[in-house]
Amino acid sequence: MSQDPAPTPVPAVLQPDTPAGVADALRQASERRQSIVIRGAGTKLDWGRPAGRIDAVLEMRGLNRILAHQHGDLTATIEAGASLAEVNTALARHGQWLPLDPAFADRATIGGLLATNDSGPLRHRYGTPRDLVIGVQLATADGTLAKAGGQVVKNVAGYDLGKLVTGSFGSLAAIVSATFKLSPLPAASKTLIVSVEDDERLGQAVRLVMASQLEPAAFELCAFGSAESLALRPAVARAFQASVMIRFASLPAVVDAQLVQARALLGSHATSIDDVDGDAEQALWRDHNARIWSASCAIARASWLPATITAALAELKTMGAPIEIIGRAAVGAGLLRIDSDVETQARVITRLRQSATFGNVVLLRGSDALKAFVDVWGPLGDRERLLASLKHALDPHNTLNAVRGPL
Amino acid sequence: MDAAFLAELRHIVGDEGVLDEPLELLTYECDALPHLRESPAAVVLPASAADVQAIVRLCAREGVPFVARGHGTGLSGGALPVPGGIVIALSRLNRVLHVDIPNQRVTVEPGVTNLEITKQVAPFGYYYAPDPSSQQVCSIGGNVAENSGGAHCLKYGFTVHHVLGVEAVLPDGEIVHLGGTLVDTPGPDLLGLLIGSEGTLAIVTSITVRILRRPEAVQTLLAAFDTIDAGGAVVSDVIGAGIIPAAIEMMDALAIRAAEAAVHPNFPPADTVLIVELDGPSAEVAALFSVVKDTCMRHGATTIEVAQNDEQRARIWRGRKAAFAAMGRVSPNYYVQDGVVPRTRLPEVLNRIRRLEARSGLRIGNVFHAGDGNLHPLICYDERVPGEADKAVEVAAEILSYCIEAGGSLTGEHGIGADKSQYMPTMFSADDLAVMQRVRAAFDPRGLSNPGKVFPTPRLCGEVPGPYRQHPVEAAGLADRL
Repeated sequence: MSQDPAPTPVPAVLQPDTPAGVADALRQASERRQSIVIRGAGTKLDWGRPAGRIDAVLEMRGLNRILAHQHGDLTATIEAGASLAEVNTALARHGQWLPLDPAFADRATIGGLLATNDSGPLRHRYGTPRDLVIGVQLATADGTLAKAGGQVVKNVAGYDLGKLVTGSFGSLAAIVSATFKLSPLPAASKTLIVSVEDDERLGQAVRLVMASQLEPAAFELCAFGSAESLALRPAVARAFQASVMIRFASLPAVVDAQLVQARALLGSHATSIDDVDGDAEQALWRDHNARIWSASCAIARASWLPATITAALAELKTMGAPIEIIGRAAVGAGLLRIDSDVETQARVITRLRQSATFGNVVLLRGSDALKAFVDVWGPLGDRERLLASLKHALDPHNTLNAVRGPL
Repeated sequence: MDAAFLAELRHIVGDEGVLDEPLELLTYECDALPHLRESPAAVVLPASAADVQAIVRLCAREGVPFVARGHGTGLSGGALPVPGGIVIALSRLNRVLHVDIPNQRVTVEPGVTNLEITKQVAPFGYYYAPDPSSQQVCSIGGNVAENSGGAHCLKYGFTVHHVLGVEAVLPDGEIVHLGGTLVDTPGPDLLGLLIGSEGTLAIVTSITVRILRRPEAVQTLLAAFDTIDAGGAVVSDVIGAGIIPAAIEMMDALAIRAAEAAVHPNFPPADTVLIVELDGPSAEVAALFSVVKDTCMRHGATTIEVAQNDEQRARIWRGRKAAFAAMGRVSPNYYVQDGVVPRTRLPEVLNRIRRLEARSGLRIGNVFHAGDGNLHPLICYDERVPGEADKAVEVAAEILSYCIEAGGSLTGEHGIGADKSQYMPTMFSADDLAVMQRVRAAFDPRGLSNPGKVFPTPRLCGEVPGPYRQHPVEAAGLADRL
């Protein structure tokens, strides 16, 4: 005899607008053994494992204030629900910014940025959210409001819980607010687009720039791992067949001097070399960050040793699927777009995890069917027991994150 | 110490790897904060990660507390032994395991010195950025424990920004790998938590760091001013102009005099000197350096000396980096404080310190990383004068209270250790500390790894913090310090 599945309850929506409100919501949920998912703008809510039962969604957009912008000290304290774009508009009044360009940067919130530790091309110079956070206020599942770090850039007092929650995907505590180290907005910016003939020359370009004394703000690579995929996007295929983009940001004269040096360094390796500035440059980077998310393919995050990029690209070509890669050329981190059926996507993820070239392969976006085939996070290795013990210490009743992981 | 326990230690590391004679233990009674002393029951010198694991497993089985120690240069008593516990000294784990120039990574054991990493990669045009003043002797393992900074961390960040991965032994003896040669380990940033945890969460047995390409140009100037306010105004204006120098350091008259007596850097006699270093692409350094020079002149610099070559630059830095040790030339004893204020509050806090100096009768030299508001007041005293040592400690504590009142921190780079744990409640609430303790317990539920550090512990009745004095109860053999 078959039974109808129990109806999925519609999660309650909680919208606190004070730190105490966040703490109370968590404490009550924990006491009632309910399951809560914390939500900022929801741009990355589909990352992670498929959610289990969700009793309530804790919306953080009510906490969206910049609590302090100490421009003389290059710091700002910001509530978790504020969007990066709103924050940077405000900081720009004093010629400063929080130099992050994550996926969906127009909507992403401060809390979500930290929880996912997401970053983009600017990581080359400025790092990821974990490198810029200097203090946090957290609410733990039992309703405790606790802070760590502080308001000053240099500070080693106590445990750095701001680091602990970066990359935790809301599974340890709710981030209520955070203090960041800021940077001055650069006066000028230009980008060099260098197309190369093949993976070998791409690797040469990467190694040359890394070994040089050029100091770009961003150093990106884009390549298709499979010739078939070129047919998918003929309009952009040539430019993105294999190329690097180097963004210089400084005083205008310095930007120009660096461009000249970069052209001299890479000229003999390029099939074409162009530079853009102004609105065209803004659009280039906006498109670069957005384009990979525009098609409904599986998207994975992966890392590699930066000087091994030629071998890494060669390996992608053996995967039997069209794969596009974009990433931080000198950091060795980026995104892979796997354009294929679910079985093939699953096989690619598994092979990437077995590869000696790639590591830390995390499936960010994928269909539920794909997520049923392969684990989103991959093996936790010898950290597994420690992570479980941390989860138990801070969230003993599994109140947070509805088993979306990574812990 | 239990003979069977010692025998097991000897079985792990050999006879020569275990020290338990009182004379041998003397070296390990304290780190570079000599007024806190404690004799360990034994010191053990592992030669491999497997040794460290076996030692920690033994300690876990027997419930013996342990303290990891690098080269003992810490300034907060972070390596202070625990009575009845052992010290695990990592000086024999001093191999450079892998130098990977194309990928800009170096893997070393914890006993390698900070400067050794730069020496390994300098021939290829690279360096390791964090540069604590003790970099010639301090260990990279100690740097990881303390999240060490240095003069150049204003632009380049701290140890936590340069370590990509560690292998570590947890307090139960399990080995974990946090981070690695590749970036973006999924999940919470355990590596970032471990760095700066002062040996209370794990013992690192290998460390992978990233190295940086030497910048194309470096320019350094030394400017003298008649008032500390003028120097402070230059710092504010330079940062306000959107310039992030590689370093901005300030020294006051007493610190200048001491440095001059010790290493003869040929600093001008002045109320305040400012050292500003810019690095980066040649065009950028040239453009911004003239802004810095103009700013110094606008605020009435009495002299401006620009280093013309590496030798002159090294001389300027020698004067700065020797400043702590140089205080021995002008005072029989001194106490180095480490506190942080928001950069914009520097002038106000420095003036409070000057008033405190006048009121207390103790001279206070000031050496600080002005760019990030990290103060290092050097409080001079003479321990032969009854009461002066205590007064120095009171003065140091009062300066910390100024830092906290200004919205700063108890420590910018020396750590909390045993020295400042009692002040933690002035910066953190009971809830803040309780959550940190829950994290600690997830790593070390029995509190065996470097107990008594970072977190405040109940003290014996009537005991005051500061230089070690034997408590009367201890003297009578009625109690031990725990």
